Amino acid sequence: MIGLYVLGAMLLFGAFKILRGAYYIRKAKRLEAEVTAIEARTDALNAETAGIKAERKAQQAAAVVALGFVPEADLDTDNALPVSPERTAAVAAVKAGDWEAGAAYLDAAGQDWEERWQRVRPLSELAAEDDAWLLAWRAARPSDPSAALVNADTGVLVAWNVRGSARASHTTQEQFRIFRELLLKAREQAREAQRLADPADPVPYMVEQSISQGLGYSHEEYRELWSQIVERDPKNLSAHTSAMQYWSQKWRGSHELALAFARECAASAEPGELLSALPLIAYVEQELHESDLKPETFFKEPEVLAAVEAALADLAAADPADWRSIRLRHLLAWFLFWQDRDAEAVEQFRHIDGHIGAMPWYYWSPSRYVYARDWAVREVTPGL
Amino acid sequence: MGASLRAVRALVLLAGFYLLGVILLAALVGVDFAVVTWLHGPVAFKIIIVSVVLAVPIVRGLFMLRTPKGEPPAGITVTEAQEPLLWQTVREIAQQVGTRAPDEIVLIDEVNAAVAEDAALLGLRPGTRRLYLGLPLMTGLDEMQLRAVLAHEMGHYANFDTRLTPLIARGRAQLIRTIGHFHERADKKVAKERARQEKRDEKRVAKGKGAKGVDTSGEGATYRAMAKIYMAYGNFYVRATRTTSRRQELAADLASVRVAGRDSAASALREINALDSAHDFYMSSYATLGVGAGLLPRPGEVFGGLRKLLDARAEDLDDLRRELSTEPASPYDSHPPLAERVARIEALPDDGRGGQSARPALELLSDAGAALAALEQVVLTPEALALKRVDWEDLVHESMTQYVGQGAEEIREAFAAEGAGPGLPALLDAVDADPAVLWRIADRFPKSQEAAAATGRTAREFARPVVRRALNQLVTVELTGRGAARWQLSWSDSASLCYPADGFEEQLRLALDAAVADLPDTEPLRKLVLAP
Repeated sequence: MIGLYVLGAMLLFGAFKILRGAYYIRKAKRLEAEVTAIEARTDALNAETAGIKAERKAQQAAAVVALGFVPEADLDTDNALPVSPERTAAVAAVKAGDWEAGAAYLDAAGQDWEERWQRVRPLSELAAEDDAWLLAWRAARPSDPSAALVNADTGVLVAWNVRGSARASHTTQEQFRIFRELLLKAREQAREAQRLADPADPVPYMVEQSISQGLGYSHEEYRELWSQIVERDPKNLSAHTSAMQYWSQKWRGSHELALAFARECAASAEPGELLSALPLIAYVEQELHESDLKPETFFKEPEVLAAVEAALADLAAADPADWRSIRLRHLLAWFLFWQDRDAEAVEQFRHIDGHIGAMPWYYWSPSRYVYARDWAVREVTPGL
Repeated sequence: MGASLRAVRALVLLAGFYLLGVILLAALVGVDFAVVTWLHGPVAFKIIIVSVVLAVPIVRGLFMLRTPKGEPPAGITVTEAQEPLLWQTVREIAQQVGTRAPDEIVLIDEVNAAVAEDAALLGLRPGTRRLYLGLPLMTGLDEMQLRAVLAHEMGHYANFDTRLTPLIARGRAQLIRTIGHFHERADKKVAKERARQEKRDEKRVAKGKGAKGVDTSGEGATYRAMAKIYMAYGNFYVRATRTTSRRQELAADLASVRVAGRDSAASALREINALDSAHDFYMSSYATLGVGAGLLPRPGEVFGGLRKLLDARAEDLDDLRRELSTEPASPYDSHPPLAERVARIEALPDDGRGGQSARPALELLSDAGAALAALEQVVLTPEALALKRVDWEDLVHESMTQYVGQGAEEIREAFAAEGAGPGLPALLDAVDADPAVLWRIADRFPKSQEAAAATGRTAREFARPVVRRALNQLVTVELTGRGAARWQLSWSDSASLCYPADGFEEQLRLALDAAVADLPDTEPLRKLVLAP
């Protein structure tokens, strides 16, 4: 009898358990449905908010564009300033296989070494893709210093194309091996260009500057190369900015070495020679490299403020027709923006707007440039 | 705990390994007996059914304990009449160590010396004692070092602590074998199940259903559970007797120091470390180099060539002698890490036997060359024995020529497909006619992802080393074919091509560079390679 009671109690208990389980399952399902509905509503609200935000952003951007600035989509990210018609024509002719047009374009720079340097790269970029015209040029004029120069610079570009821009861990052994072999070959080609060149021409040595970074020249080797350059053109801005890369922490130097080099060069330059850009470059590189530095505070340090003042004075003293000053303006716009000197920043943005293939913008997507520009413009335009 | 007590404990633990299943079964029987005595009816019946189900894996586990007789290593058994000096040496060592000499000596092809006994009942009953002695080991050691190694091995069977020691040593060897057997069986079972499931998936795919995927995690759960119990017990045994076994290892090492001297004992251990790698490398890169070309070195040289390698690479081996492993060889291995053993031996006081000169261990054999040749007959497969025997020089030249030639076949096909070939002259003509043929050929070889994505001059730079290598290979075939170049054996380096004249290599390098340059110039290569 007791057994029956126990059995009955157990059955009842079991039934209770099952019913309770069923109840909970149903309840959970109901709650789940509710959660889904709430989530859907949240999503809709979020989308709405995002839409409103995007619309407002678009309106703001349109307002800035209405003031004469270039829309983000139309920014030229390859050049620091408008491309000259001569260059456009030369590139088109060379593309069509007319190497003589390229040779003429390059030689037209004459003894303006900065200009000659600027004219090499567009040609090397073409040759890195298709160099049939360059082979023809070198076959026709084996001792043409310009052909040798373009050939060496092309070698550097191709080496970097092989290396790719991925980090070392994502770069294969094959890539590293060929990269190094090509740089060594490019150095031979640069040396050949140096032999053939006008003894006063620093440009083949400037090509070796870019090789030195990839091959990791020692400080002595680099100083030796540097002396070859400054002997020929002591104030060449491009050679100096290239040297800033070598002395930066990410290549073969350090923040301290880079800043010391920049200050020394800037101090020995006359106003208007634009070498005041070098300390600014040193600060940009340092801020990029150190994740704990914030531009809003670091760029307001007294030494940075002083460097910007010096650069503004340098710019004022420079020849207004000197196209190189645009490179200083690119840097100044960035620093003035962070120093909350928005009116002065906008003045620089007006000069540089449209072509942002320059330090510091080429480190980031164009939206960063647009953000800084539009911010400064809004700050100084009442009612925007 | 005294030495005897420790030994008895080790013995009990060892017996427990065997008794584990019996005890478990006995416990089940006891429960059943109690149930039948005090309970009646269906409940008792059910409990008995459950106990029977539980007994099945235990019984299976017991059967797993029956380790199949291990395959003895192939070797040649040498009698006292054949090798009196070796036998005399071994007897001396056995006497010095205090154990009975082996009944047989078997020469084998490993860098190893081992004493084994056909012991029954987990080592409780002694059997025939065999000394397995590796000829490659003897090749690398001098006599005193060999004596040290043999003293250590026989030392395991010597009565260091108590009379029980040899018994424990036998049992431990059996236990390690048994645990290895468990692992093997468990792996086999899983592999079998995997094969079955893969077959099933294939069928499902063939029928148009999706594959279920292979899952062997649940396979043979009871089986593996039993294996786990025994392995866990094995681990427990090893851990519980670690101090004892370490003492024995140390005692065995001390025996080798006593027999051979401190310095010989330590250097023997260092030497074995180096010999192991050297022998592996020798077998794969030298002894069997010609197998793909149907060639073996002369009789006796298959194992005998090791000596030449050891002499030529003395410096590389020094690194291996210095850098000893600080990890134990396996979790069941009673040997402390090699570095520790050597350090302990070298910390002993100088016994003044450091400078003793000793002859090479192989000189203990009446005719080492004959022994090495005889070993080949029992160790090598019939297929290997049927291969052609040639001198080392010819072996390297002929097999390398054949391998490079085989590799060049593909290259020739690639060139021919682009209308450049078949011979080297025709190929160079094609390059002269249209330099672009070089880069088109590169497309016919396997490419890395980066090379495939490259365009323009970048693509050419990826292709250039590939084409240059291919061209170089064809040049090698051409030169070796004409007898102008010869593959040269080196015991200290990889085989290299010996060119007809000094400075030829440098000229060839420049000629190849010129042939694959942007504006190719095949003239230097023609002059160098094709000119009579």
